[in-house]
Amino acid sequence: MKQANPQSNIGATVIWLILVVLTLTTWRIGEAGMVGKSTMLLLLFIAMIKSQIVANYFMALRHTRLIWRAIMFGYFVIVGGLIAFAYLISLA
Amino acid sequence: MDAQSTHISLVEMSNYQLATGKKNLPGDFALWIFIFAEMLVFGVLFVAYAFTRAYHVELFNESQLTLSRTSGAINTLVLITSSYFVVRGVTAIKQGLSKQCAYWLTGAFLLGGIFISIKLVEFHAKYAADISMSTNAFYMFYLSLTFFHFMHVLMGMIILAFIIVKVRRGGYSAQDYVGVETGASFWHMVDFLWIILFPLVYIIR
Repeated sequence: MKQANPQSNIGATVIWLILVVLTLTTWRIGEAGMVGKSTMLLLLFIAMIKSQIVANYFMALRHTRLIWRAIMFGYFVIVGGLIAFAYLISLA
Repeated sequence: MDAQSTHISLVEMSNYQLATGKKNLPGDFALWIFIFAEMLVFGVLFVAYAFTRAYHVELFNESQLTLSRTSGAINTLVLITSSYFVVRGVTAIKQGLSKQCAYWLTGAFLLGGIFISIKLVEFHAKYAADISMSTNAFYMFYLSLTFFHFMHVLMGMIILAFIIVKVRRGGYSAQDYVGVETGASFWHMVDFLWIILFPLVYIIR
């Protein structure tokens, strides 16, 4: 059986570890019962950063044309922005 | 679009790739249309959830406390890990390592099964507590969003199963792996959507 090139997998493993740490951070914040505007924005920001990491590294969009990365970033800005706006309304 | 213009546009795309080093989307483009459409549908539902919550804050906060944040977090870790396994599977097939690719994809498939099992336990707990979509606006969103996503996980598992069988039969190689990339892209979309869904519905208050 041929062996995989270990160099090609280090990047993916680091990305996976970052996603695990960010997920555990989100869970800990939830378990601690933290609420409020800054907590909401932090949690939303973490979620959007995670989704961009998945899009760019796992879906490999970072190697693609600008248009596809722009669509993913647009999703990040529009969906994340509207959710944040709705939560800010409720906190006002 | 006729055959000649299709040929010209493909040549233009190849020239663009050669000139910039940038590739087109991995896998079959048709599936990417589906992925973008699904992201749009989920995006609308996420925003609808947030704006509905803005007018029923206490109801949403109270109902949200009945969810298991730990189950949600475990399922997030499960999906992230399965996505990582799929990345390893794609890397393996690109190097012509069919057996390793099949192992990684089987691992991802099994993790999908764990996700489904945890979700079924959650759904059963809500059913046993007599909670349904008509209980209130929060549960309407919670059940519809998570069930809609649950169906996507099932679809992703079916796609993975077909790819695993084909990989085992030697149907993909270092020169021909578009099918593996296509299935991988769908699976990553399932992960991408859950990554937003989990904090939105389970955590943020």
